[in-house]
Amino acid sequence: MRKLFVTLLVALSSQLFAQNKIDDVKTFTLSNGMKFLVLEDASIPNANMYLFYKVGSRNEHPGITGLSHFFEHMMFNGAKKYGPKEFDRTMEYNGGANNAYTTQDVTVYTDWFPAQALEVIFDLESDRIANLAIADNMVESERGVVLSERSTGLENSPWRMLGEAVNATAFQEHPYHWPVIGYEEDIKNWTKQDLEYYFKTYYAPNNCTVVISGNVKFDEVKRLAEKYMQPIPSQKPGPKVHLVEPKQTGERRITVQKQVSSPYMIIGYHAPEAQHADYYALDILSSVLSNGNSSRLYSNLVDKNQLATSVFTDYSPSFDPTLFSVYVSSAKGKSTDEIEKTVYAELEKIAKEGVTATELQKIKNQKLSEFYNQVETINGKSNNLGTYEVFFGDYKKMFTAMDEYAKVSVDDVKRVAATYFKKSNRTVGVLKSNTEE
Amino acid sequence: MKRNQSIIKIGFFLLMVFPLAVLAQQAKFKLPAYEKFKLPNGLTVYLMEQHEVPTINIAAVIPSGAVLDAEKQGLASLTAKALQFGTKSYTKAQIEEQMDFIGASYNTYSGKELAGLSAKFAAKYQDKVLPIINELLTAPSFNEEEFSKEKKRILTQLERAKESPRSVIGNYWDNFMYGKHPYGNPVSGSVSSVQNLSIADVKSFYSKNYGPNGAAIAVVGDFKAKEMKAKISKLFGKWNNSVNTAAISSTIESPKEARVLLVNKSDARETTMLIGGKGVSRNNPDFVAIEVVNTVLGGRFTSWLNDELRVNSGLTYGANSRFSTLKNSGTFYISTFTATATTKATVDKALEVLKKLREKGLDEATLQSAKNYVKGQFPPDYETPAQLASLLTDMFWYNFNEDFINTFESRVDGLTIEKSKEIIQKYFSAENLQFVFVGNAAEIKNVVSAYGKVTEKQIKEDSF
Repeated sequence: MRKLFVTLLVALSSQLFAQNKIDDVKTFTLSNGMKFLVLEDASIPNANMYLFYKVGSRNEHPGITGLSHFFEHMMFNGAKKYGPKEFDRTMEYNGGANNAYTTQDVTVYTDWFPAQALEVIFDLESDRIANLAIADNMVESERGVVLSERSTGLENSPWRMLGEAVNATAFQEHPYHWPVIGYEEDIKNWTKQDLEYYFKTYYAPNNCTVVISGNVKFDEVKRLAEKYMQPIPSQKPGPKVHLVEPKQTGERRITVQKQVSSPYMIIGYHAPEAQHADYYALDILSSVLSNGNSSRLYSNLVDKNQLATSVFTDYSPSFDPTLFSVYVSSAKGKSTDEIEKTVYAELEKIAKEGVTATELQKIKNQKLSEFYNQVETINGKSNNLGTYEVFFGDYKKMFTAMDEYAKVSVDDVKRVAATYFKKSNRTVGVLKSNTEE
Repeated sequence: MKRNQSIIKIGFFLLMVFPLAVLAQQAKFKLPAYEKFKLPNGLTVYLMEQHEVPTINIAAVIPSGAVLDAEKQGLASLTAKALQFGTKSYTKAQIEEQMDFIGASYNTYSGKELAGLSAKFAAKYQDKVLPIINELLTAPSFNEEEFSKEKKRILTQLERAKESPRSVIGNYWDNFMYGKHPYGNPVSGSVSSVQNLSIADVKSFYSKNYGPNGAAIAVVGDFKAKEMKAKISKLFGKWNNSVNTAAISSTIESPKEARVLLVNKSDARETTMLIGGKGVSRNNPDFVAIEVVNTVLGGRFTSWLNDELRVNSGLTYGANSRFSTLKNSGTFYISTFTATATTKATVDKALEVLKKLREKGLDEATLQSAKNYVKGQFPPDYETPAQLASLLTDMFWYNFNEDFINTFESRVDGLTIEKSKEIIQKYFSAENLQFVFVGNAAEIKNVVSAYGKVTEKQIKEDSF
């Protein structure tokens, strides 16, 4: 789902944004530090509320790995006014639905509802932020749910197993080392005290940005926010994530065994966080490599040389330095060595020769299309605004991101390719059946 | 992640809360105005103006899906894909370069009954894109080299799919439920069937089944209907391959006894399962009422299945139920998964929930909640031009009209407790249930044989 953000994060200058302008987004911050972004949009009789908490697996440590994600589940298991099961029952009775997701950096709660249910949603969300109840029996049954979630992910996706191994190898000190879902033994072992500490520290109004889009009125949103959210006290911020991944000085390799018919491969390069100056050039580079059948890696690996059945790249916004990864599903009978060499040759070609002006223009055009895709729904609007606010530091950057893409030159793309696609900076993971050969 | 709505490529980064397969429908929403007309060659055209974003969406459907595969399974799917391998005026590479350059997206695909094309592009490029779309459908050149490359890719993917129980259990289910009826055909085909397909098969399938009569195209987005009508009529009016559009037989036998299909995957750590029986076709007059009742059983987070199997017992990350509908038939199934050791507990609980629905039915508050939910979640399903375009082609194929949208709320509200009882007895049968399990047979064979007559297959065997 992180992949989704790649497309979400694409924007364009305000004059191109057909429907909304910077000024259409109105904001306010409550006295307890909770910030709200509101976008009125009456295109359907619905609205949404997206709550971005700045807590994810990067805030954990060995012993409580997976706790952020587990907490995401516990947020549905009862508070003071609405006891166990009542959160979902009340929301659904009022025509609403919800979901939530956890990443390395954030935990996001998403409510989708008919606009007239807005006050009920405020009541539900404020109840659990103010007064979550952490009942022993709910903790125990939720452990089973999360173990099943972990198991079904591993059962059905080779990428999950391989991705976890690559992250663990590329990050030796920084918390991106462990999987978001956590280690099985940690899932079985964390305590109620761990959960209580986590709640108090991270589920504070001053650690949350709320985005609301849809058929609502700003004044009404503000009135409800003051009524329901303002009384919740702010908290002392949690400890800063102080671990910094040391510079990688040599290639790392990892092999994983799973019963598969043809190997899977991930090649990950250390790359900077969302607010780094190289972000936009690297994002464009990612599209040059794998967006569409005319992209460089697809065209070489899948089409021309038939070495792979699919290839894609992932470079998603993050708080801390992350990975720029190439994912390859090998074609039957093709050697992973040859695939690797071919990928490197394509990357080196860009580092040496750069990309063409036409190619760069193509990517900029694609970015514009992706942006339209994301803002044609009220949910896309909320997710996009929240992502810019939290990852890039300001929702307004959603409206100027297209200018940032426009500034990226052919030389910038060449420079970032040369800077980051170095042998010593990469981790190579292979998943295959026979790891003895 | 609380609900896992789609299979996500990079799942390890992000976890949601619930595997959702909910068909939420709802209300207070009128279908925007649209125009429908038929060209002299029989092609049905829908045009709907939507000016919110400067883009245009196209959805086209042709009744040439996997039901026509006969013994050449996978042919419809490969033919649909092969539409992209170049046309009369453009090579494959030219199409890709031109469409990629302007940020246009497009796809051609085949499902069980229909083949289709979808496309999306900036409105200002319509005169560049429409001729390409037109040739993809009406003048493909079926380049042989591209065909053999794609065939190889498909063969690898078919083998791979069997590594993930979730991605193949539906094929086993359809085959088990529909048997030799064409609805049992797996859209993807199997390794041995695809191995035997040739470019000549593709060409012959195309000329026999792709024609304007029986097909429809919907254009939704930022254009003037009058101008678009002229453009579409001119481009597609020249398509003149009249084809035979015989209906698929609707005679499908109901199961006469409880049966179990056990698919052995020896390295499985969990059991993936579907439990159910005969369902309904998409245009069943009770469709909306069935959806409301199914919302209670397995169509949302607080549904009885998810509540029992996930929330109360922690047996699984998610359990749901759905009606999978086709034009002339359909199936109903409960879907879940659990660790190998808890297979029996999970099946028994699921059956208990179904029994409770049949014996106790719904109370007023539960029915009201389901109605509110279904209505509240309806408008976002028809929010974008792409969603509206595929709604129009659905209306065409499944033979319903805008009343489905415009009277949805009143139909939902009209469902009484009395009527819900009839719906439950008629459509949520617990008799002669059918079971498909993908899991470790050595561990679960004894358990699952209690539920019906067992047929065992190896997941590594070809076909489904």
